[in-house]
Amino acid sequence: MTCKLVRRHLGAFIDGELDPASQIEFERHLEACAVCQEHLAFERSFHQQAREAIAGVHAPEHLWNRTLHRFDEIDATRAERTSIEARPMRWRQTWPIAAAAAAVLIIGSVVGLPESTAYQGAGMLQDVVNLHSQALPSDVQAEAPQDVVRYFQGKTPFPVKPARFAEPGMKFVGARYIKVGAHPAAALYYNHQGRRVTLLVFQSPEIVRNAHRTHVGGREVLYHNVGGNVVTIRQHGGVNYAFFGDLDRPVLFQLAANARVAY
Amino acid sequence: MPGKSKKVEAQRRLFEAEVRPHLDTLYSIALRLTRSPVDAEDLVQDTLVRAYRFYDRFEAGTNFKAWLLRIQMNSFVNRYRRASRERQVFDGPMATPVGEGVMSRATMRGLTDPVGDAERQLIAQEIRRAFEELSDEARAMVMLADVEELSYKEIAEVVGCPIGTVMSRLHRARKQLQVSLQAHAVQLGIIEEDDSELEDPIPLEAFRARKAAKS
Repeated sequence: MTCKLVRRHLGAFIDGELDPASQIEFERHLEACAVCQEHLAFERSFHQQAREAIAGVHAPEHLWNRTLHRFDEIDATRAERTSIEARPMRWRQTWPIAAAAAAVLIIGSVVGLPESTAYQGAGMLQDVVNLHSQALPSDVQAEAPQDVVRYFQGKTPFPVKPARFAEPGMKFVGARYIKVGAHPAAALYYNHQGRRVTLLVFQSPEIVRNAHRTHVGGREVLYHNVGGNVVTIRQHGGVNYAFFGDLDRPVLFQLAANARVAY
Repeated sequence: MPGKSKKVEAQRRLFEAEVRPHLDTLYSIALRLTRSPVDAEDLVQDTLVRAYRFYDRFEAGTNFKAWLLRIQMNSFVNRYRRASRERQVFDGPMATPVGEGVMSRATMRGLTDPVGDAERQLIAQEIRRAFEELSDEARAMVMLADVEELSYKEIAEVVGCPIGTVMSRLHRARKQLQVSLQAHAVQLGIIEEDDSELEDPIPLEAFRARKAAKS
């Protein structure tokens, strides 16, 4: 046992973090070595002085109350979500997405697009629908939009903000990181008068390649018909905003047109 | 708003009771990490909101304080130290080795038992200053070990690294603190400069000789 070794691990010795055998060897060495004893006394005293210098900070009184208020909000959101999830979901029932995918494939070959592109587009469309139907849990909840922005930083190659809606019945519930095909995406979950709406934000030209186009209230909205309903898509700054939900067709067009996706 | 279920209420009460005693700890570490009371409050609140949401994932019987601190440390890294800067925290100034024998015996003696309140306060002030100059991670190490008195195993859980790494990082942080303190203590006249005996010459030999003489 050398002095160098003992001094190197004096901190761990004082903290009681050495294994029993080393602890005994250290004690033996320290008994015999006056210089190491001085180092020990200094280390002990220094830990104590450091503790006294840095400790003793108290949380401000209002912090706890602020926090309790946030807990109230979480409880409220949870209660709301539980009541939404208890409702039967139309779109969870079986429905003919395979037929829709096949239709896209056929159209693709008729207009002479490369088959792989059409397939990717259809697969992606199916993904959009599946991701809504699966209703995966949110990773970040709705209390603070800034939390959502921060959550997606570094996850998606584009910034994500929860889209805003003029409709008073449209409420943001939460969000999570997800993939649409191979593309990193943000899934933003909303609740429209008790019904679930999923907004998927991602970058991919395939999803709009075979899409229909229309104008709603002066805004261009792209869409795909799927199983009697529709996936509506807004584009902004090279990013797709695909809407799907347990809602009637006109409402999905309306939401896509009215969404403020960049603000 | 629908009425809260009894289960939710019971869970909430339990969580509040468990968390409340750790509020000062969370805040004081947050304050040392962020260096700003406003940011510290935000960080603590983020931490508690996350902890509340994921309370069902906390394994009963394990260390609740360490669990909270781990959430706080992750929130801090995610929020204030993103991507490129993160490497800086862990491979930055902390990676520079600090010498072992930088402190002379006279210096040690001068700092071991400060005489009088004025000197004590001056040293405390100097320790705080030296502490502020440490890297984020080094500050966290010193806080967790010396103020919160967490075991190395708990610190490893909080910071997310092996126990051996905790030991070496903590050692480095404390040495940095001491070196910085020493430099200022000399400047302020708390201790006298002493370059005559920076380190004892081969104390191992003396030890062996003494050992041999005993036997």
